[in-house]
Order: sequence, then structure tokens, then C-alpha cells
Amino acid sequence: MLDSAPGIFVALEGSGVGQAIRQSPWIYMAANVGHIVSLMVFAGAVAVLDLRMAGAFAATSPGHVLGGARRVAILAFLGLVLTGAVLFTAEASHVIMNAVFQLKLALIALGLLNITLFEFFVAPQVKNLPPLAPLPAAARRAGIVSIVVWVAVAICGRSIAYF
Amino acid sequence: MKRSHVVLAALLLAGPAVAHHGWGSYDAAKPVTVTGPIITSKYENPHATLTVKGSDKEWTVTLAPTSRMGNRGASLAVVSVGKTVSAFGYPSTVEKDEMRAERITIDGKTYEMR
Repeated sequence: MLDSAPGIFVALEGSGVGQAIRQSPWIYMAANVGHIVSLMVFAGAVAVLDLRMAGAFAATSPGHVLGGARRVAILAFLGLVLTGAVLFTAEASHVIMNAVFQLKLALIALGLLNITLFEFFVAPQVKNLPPLAPLPAAARRAGIVSIVVWVAVAICGRSIAYF
Repeated sequence: MKRSHVVLAALLLAGPAVAHHGWGSYDAAKPVTVTGPIITSKYENPHATLTVKGSDKEWTVTLAPTSRMGNRGASLAVVSVGKTVSAFGYPSTVEKDEMRAERITIDGKTYEMR
């Protein structure tokens, strides 16, 4: 370790839960697989939602696409957080000091901020529009920001192991 | 504008990287063979690790995920403390005195780690 991690992360890694994850022959692997599967589902739902907001699939009802994709995205995000927490706990004191992981956390915060702003200010204007109606520019912006940010999060995630 | 500021702030806040698994942070151009007794053995995921008293210094030797080690016969009993291991691998470019083993030999048997 080059720098020492804050005590709470050292304690988390050293906890019984941390030990159990590392010593189990399958928990770490299952969390890894679960993280990827959750990511696939999340990326799929987010791509549908974001592309609709960016102007694709114009013949569909924006409210229906939004409602359906949002539900799937939330479930998949919960899966990502749960499996990610398992992977993180196993190596908390190393991973928290990893620059790419820190960047990933910042990007996740940015992605969630984008969603929050979208849900409060844009979704209410969009959800009752009929198919083929032009969407506000803010919807297009939010969709594009979302795709860029979540792809960057995935790139960071896969890169943690190499930095 | 706002987004680029946040990303910049994140980059500035980010401390120096600590290398971890993956083969990217190991120098394949400078292979080393560490031979000596096993001082500690952690049979854990994501990678089993040994500390080995080499002829020059004490090395941390990073091995493979435990399920792969088990599949290849390198069980916990095989890599136990006190045995003599010969580990061929590559030194870390980031962590001091750490190497990642390509293969290890214990009691005349060789186990591939990759």
C-alpha cells in the first residue's frame, strides 16, 4: 500500500464479512458475475430510455418508455450496488485509494445528479407528450449526458484492476 | 461546463493509484524466480497470496483466484506455510517487493497460475 486508507475501510476489509467474502470459494466470483449481469441489464434499460429522450424511437409514447425502462434500470442499479459492495468490501482498503475507483464514484454521483435533475424538471414535461411530439431540448441533453456518463462509469469499473 | 469542472475536481482529488490485480502493472520484461520457504499463506479471493523468504528479500507473491488454484491441484495444503516454493513471475511496477506468479513449483510439481 502506498498510502494508508482511512481506518473505516481498513476495518471494513478486515471485518468478518470481508473475510467471509475472500475465503469463500464462490462469493467473490458470484458477485463478479452478478455485477456484470446487472450492468448489462442496467445499460440496456438506460440506453432505451436515453435514446428515447435523445429523439430515437419517436413513434413510441415517451411516458410509457420512461416508465418501463425506469423500473428495470432501478432494479438493475440495486443489483449493481449490492454486488459492487461485496466486491468492494473484499478489498476496501486498496480499492478506496485507487484513483480510477475514485473517479468512478464521482461519475456515479454525476450520473445520479443528472437523473435527479431530469426527474424533477424534465420528466414531468415529457411523460404526457404523445408519440412523435418533439421533446424539449433539456430531455435530449439529459439523455446524451446520461449515456456518456454511464459508459464512462463502466470503463472506469473495468479499469480499476489495471491502475 | 459544470460537468467538466466536476470531472476535473474528481481528478484532482484522486490520490495516487494503488496497483491491483490484472497483469497490466507487472513488468513482463523482467521476469524473476523467487525461491524459498513460505512465510505466510493467504488462500483468499480475488487472489491467493504468499510471502516468501527469497534469497534477496521477502517477496509478496500474488497467485490466482482460489477456485482456479483448486482446479489445478494447488490446494490450501499444497501452498501451506513452511513449504519451499519456487515462483516464476513478474515484479510489480507499483507495489514494492510484490510479484505475480506465472507458475509455481512445490514438492517437484508445477502449477500454472494463468
